[in-house]
Amino acid sequence: MNEEYKNKWISQLKKGTLSFIVLNILNKDKEYYGYDLISEIKRITDIDIAEGTLYPLLIRLKNENLVEHNWVEQQSGIPRKYYRITKEGKATIAQMKAYWDNLNQTINSI
Amino acid sequence: MKFQEITFTDTNAQRLYKDYIGRVKHAIKDLNKENQHETLLEINSHIYEAFTLSKTNEVESLLDIFDKLGRPEIFLKELVAEKRLEEATKTFNPVKIIKALFLNITNGIMYVIFLLLYLSLFSFLFLIFAKIFDPENVGFFYRNNDIFVLGKINSSTLNYQQYEQLGNWFIPVMAVSAFVLYIIITFLLKFSKRLKNK
Repeated sequence: MNEEYKNKWISQLKKGTLSFIVLNILNKDKEYYGYDLISEIKRITDIDIAEGTLYPLLIRLKNENLVEHNWVEQQSGIPRKYYRITKEGKATIAQMKAYWDNLNQTINSI
Repeated sequence: MKFQEITFTDTNAQRLYKDYIGRVKHAIKDLNKENQHETLLEINSHIYEAFTLSKTNEVESLLDIFDKLGRPEIFLKELVAEKRLEEATKTFNPVKIIKALFLNITNGIMYVIFLLLYLSLFSFLFLIFAKIFDPENVGFFYRNNDIFVLGKINSSTLNYQQYEQLGNWFIPVMAVSAFVLYIIITFLLKFSKRLKNK
């Protein structure tokens, strides 16, 4: 088996599906702050993401108007930035899910 | 919202934290103040939240947190490149735009094309100077089915100088053309991502 090729493929797949996973989590109508979101990704998937990469991704999703955020002051003095999905984000994730299911079916039928 | 440093009881942990925050600040120094502040607050919040849940000693916890976050120079690179382009197109500052495009050059062929388009605007500048130094042979030469030249003609060949169309208007027309094209290219760049997704 070509371990190197397999690992590269897995790495690309993880990278490509991260935005899909993030939008799916936010689609539960709950707000998450960055660290909370990373913990949730780790809890429901076995993906070991480089945590720093999540923040540029969240900014891209915000620029695409798929998520929005607001800062919430904390007693500690260190505020949290909470993210939530937008209407456009919900519509987009619905289409992404439909495509994913279709792709899954196709792959399983091969 | 104000940036507040996290305090640690262990001086080594405090030094590690300050060093990492310093690296974050350095990595984002080219962003505008607002984006710098927002990025710094978010990374600081991540460190704080991760730290409060950690069970090991302060130094070990921080080392683990920084290891998982990654090197700021690496994970913030793409973000800085994108933000700088966004800022540059807002200001229409040509120096900022060219710098931002160079930073984004590895993010897609689109940015290479835009960089070439911007660089092509220098040809107008070149024509303006060429007109000053060689007014007879530089201009817009046009005659139906015979000649169509925007630039310099060879003075030793046919007497095409008589077909120059713009005369003293050549320099203002080139300057205005360069300006209008600059605005159009910048608007295209600004909305390129949106156009790409449609």
